[in-house]
Amino acid sequence: MSAPLLSVEGVQAGYDDILVLKDCSLEVRAGEFIALVGPNGAGKSTLLRAITGLLPVRAGAIRLDGDRIDGLPPYAIAARGLTMIPEGRRLFAPLTVRENLELGAFLRRAPGQQQETLHLIFRLFPVLREKALAPAGVLSGGEQQMLALARGLMARPRLLCLDDPFLGLSRLVTNRFCQAIREITAGGMTILAAGQHVRRLLRLAHRAYLLDEGHVVLSGPGPGLLEDERLRRTLLELIPEVDRPIG
Amino acid sequence: MSLTTLAQTLASGALLGCFYTLMALAFSMVLSVTRALNLAHGDLIILGGYLGYWFWSGSGLHPLLLVPVAGAALLPLALLWQWLFNRLPEPKELSSLVLTFGLSLLLQNIMLALWRGEYRLIASESLTGSIRLGGLRLNQGRLIVAAAALAAVGGLYLALTRTRWGRAVRATSLDREAAALLGINVDQATRTTFLLALALSGGAGVLFATLHYLYPAGGIELTLLAIVLTIWAGVGRLRSVLVAGVLLGVIEALTVAWSGPRWRELVVALLLLASLLARSGGLAGGRSH
Repeated sequence: MSAPLLSVEGVQAGYDDILVLKDCSLEVRAGEFIALVGPNGAGKSTLLRAITGLLPVRAGAIRLDGDRIDGLPPYAIAARGLTMIPEGRRLFAPLTVRENLELGAFLRRAPGQQQETLHLIFRLFPVLREKALAPAGVLSGGEQQMLALARGLMARPRLLCLDDPFLGLSRLVTNRFCQAIREITAGGMTILAAGQHVRRLLRLAHRAYLLDEGHVVLSGPGPGLLEDERLRRTLLELIPEVDRPIG
Repeated sequence: MSLTTLAQTLASGALLGCFYTLMALAFSMVLSVTRALNLAHGDLIILGGYLGYWFWSGSGLHPLLLVPVAGAALLPLALLWQWLFNRLPEPKELSSLVLTFGLSLLLQNIMLALWRGEYRLIASESLTGSIRLGGLRLNQGRLIVAAAALAAVGGLYLALTRTRWGRAVRATSLDREAAALLGINVDQATRTTFLLALALSGGAGVLFATLHYLYPAGGIELTLLAIVLTIWAGVGRLRSVLVAGVLLGVIEALTVAWSGPRWRELVVALLLLASLLARSGGLAGGRSH
């Protein structure tokens, strides 16, 4: 089997005096959709922040294609093809939809490649074409989430991290969103997605990791993991409340 | 006041306003990328003015040629400033006030020691005389200063809106983390913006020294003007800064023409109060989402 695209090896990270990630190891292979689930405060966002370089790693190693990336600044990691759609979208609100998309393609200097990705994005989310000249801040929540995903796609990353991609979205928008993610994954994009919408994520995922109190406690194929007793126990209250079965 | 005098006042106020725009832009650039309020902004401009005066009295060169020289002369200081800013604890908006207030006093005293309290002016002959335009007499020095300031502002506008560097700077000032995740080197964008802003301040100082007498404590008023304009226009809004700068120049000129120079500062202070009341959401308020 080939070497993993991303490997996280015994990583520790945290904020000030608090160690959030105590010992995290996981692997993402090219073309996979990996879900990262766990209760609130388990360290999902912290792990993504450590991987993307927003948070320093205190111990362990993170490798992209075999090369160490822990310790690099986030822009250098992004330049190697790893980007994230952060929690809360973090769009450039006063700038237009088009300007946001152009900034997404900041690393790609050839305009031809940009056009190709733009076509894909407008096919997935036609509303972004209609509102190309509107400031990102006036879009609805669902549209903003689409723009955030589209902005990340514009970079054509080798690995795209999603932090709580369905947070605050209506069921209808979430369905649309899952559909778009399926299409993107089918196109060969590698995705690592963390979030609280356990059912949604596990049904999309090839494989999944369960994170609890800073440790990876369980891993396995996505839909299979959904039936696992330990996952059910860890997320007991979360599963029925946060999302219901897809209709 | 006759119509000609009024037109004359408006024109000369607008010319001065172009200088204000340049000065406020430099202040606002620093604020937008570092989130630091640089209370020593005016003192840096005055320092640039003194350096320009010093070069001018030594060399006799045309003051316009000394604008880039004074700008470059401030770069070592800019590096020191940045080193200090990087070490500020959060919240930077607040802790920068303490730091830069101290730096402002320090600079004022250094200038007092170097050039004493005497008033200095770059009274170059190439800047005196006036140009007749219709019924108006426009001071040549003011025209040159306004043209130089507008050229700098225009160049900055093009750089920020049309270049890769400008896109990086705008994204960095809006959301540092989001920008970094897209591969934008936010540290470099911050560093270059900061150095450019301080170089512009130094250059603006030379322009200022051809219009007004320099004295070591003169920077406080310039800082105040920069803050007023930034609140009026909003952080990082280039076109609004231009409008606000010209407007401030005109209001000031009208105040002086109607009621004499001693009311000038009071009017500026009242404008600051009024704009704070109107924009109670804070410096960047009003347009946030």
